[in-house]
Amino acid sequence: MAAIEESGGGGKGDGKVRGKKMSTRVDMTPMVDLGFLLITFFMLATTMSKPTSMSLAVPDKTDKEDQEKTEPLKASKVLTLFMGSNDDVYYLDGVAADDDKAEASLKTVRYGFDLRSVIFASQKRINAANPKDEKGNDPFVVVIKPTPVSTYKNMVDVLDEMAITKSKRYALVESLTDSEKKLLGDKIVPADQ
Amino acid sequence: MAKVRPKKHAPHTDMTAMTDVAFLLLTFFIMTATFKSNDAEITTPSSISQIKVPDDDIMVISIDKAGKVFFGVDAKPVRAAMLENIGQSKGITFTETEKAKFALQSSFGFPLNQLKPWLNMSKEQMPNVKQPGIPVDSTGASELADWVYAARKANSQLRIALKGDNLSKFPVFKDVLSNLQSQNINKFNLITGSEQAPAGYTND
Repeated sequence: MAAIEESGGGGKGDGKVRGKKMSTRVDMTPMVDLGFLLITFFMLATTMSKPTSMSLAVPDKTDKEDQEKTEPLKASKVLTLFMGSNDDVYYLDGVAADDDKAEASLKTVRYGFDLRSVIFASQKRINAANPKDEKGNDPFVVVIKPTPVSTYKNMVDVLDEMAITKSKRYALVESLTDSEKKLLGDKIVPADQ
Repeated sequence: MAKVRPKKHAPHTDMTAMTDVAFLLLTFFIMTATFKSNDAEITTPSSISQIKVPDDDIMVISIDKAGKVFFGVDAKPVRAAMLENIGQSKGITFTETEKAKFALQSSFGFPLNQLKPWLNMSKEQMPNVKQPGIPVDSTGASELADWVYAARKANSQLRIALKGDNLSKFPVFKDVLSNLQSQNINKFNLITGSEQAPAGYTND
């Protein structure tokens, strides 16, 4: 197609003088140039990776009278994660914040693999030490406490870890108790205050 | 004696195949093109979630890295209806031109009292204005809940997606959350980038 040529031109033997046949060959180089230019433009202008979404369900805020009363969580079954600044996570594994040992057992960990190891270890330990409840749920509960210095990315990261470690029971709790505030001290105070 | 030589031809590449490929790719890219929207630059965190964000019937609440909140609805008719709804509930009347201009904006971040001046600007000026964000402060005046209500009144099928920047602080998210909860919305999607699940992870 690029070289469309008329073959021959009839028999030559009839002796007539003919004008030289013009070649019908079309130079396609500019067309190819234009084609690739447009390809480049569309490749750069499009967003190829479609964003995914994670669904988040939060408990109903309106207080209902008939709501089932649940017993408070036992600290020994809970892993508490405090999301601090600079992508640090402070965690209490099976210890309540008002416990005497809390100060000593508060540890720091980074997001990613380290945090995952901590969750897995705690999950294994707590699930082995406690029986399943009457509904067949694992006893392991994670309480996630975002602080004012943590970012949105931190929260998504932690929720993602919940999905990876298959921790079904977790709670996003916004408020810190007084003993937790005392425990974390200036770690959660915004820098500009 | 003159030797019989084959007639010399200029070296000529047949470009047909290349043209074919080039235009095939071009067609593909034109078909799949969904243009980057340039309203607010937001880098979302990534998650291992596989659920795709729905294309239609969706409202997106965006939080940029400074903590400003933007609101957008996908379909143009819904945007116009939403503006009318909020005008009715707040006692503001919008002209047809303002509605038409508003319907063209994929997302916006203005308090209600600054919306009208913005809509009266020329089309060239509109993108150059710095948007202050929709007020979400739980203690002060919060307008996001009103917008969500107006949008849902315009199209009750709307799903809610939250799109936050990596660096936006948690308190802003908390304010957005309390706005949604005041509308009795307890389930929504967080828009994230996709990420490979770590080794050993099984989906069940």
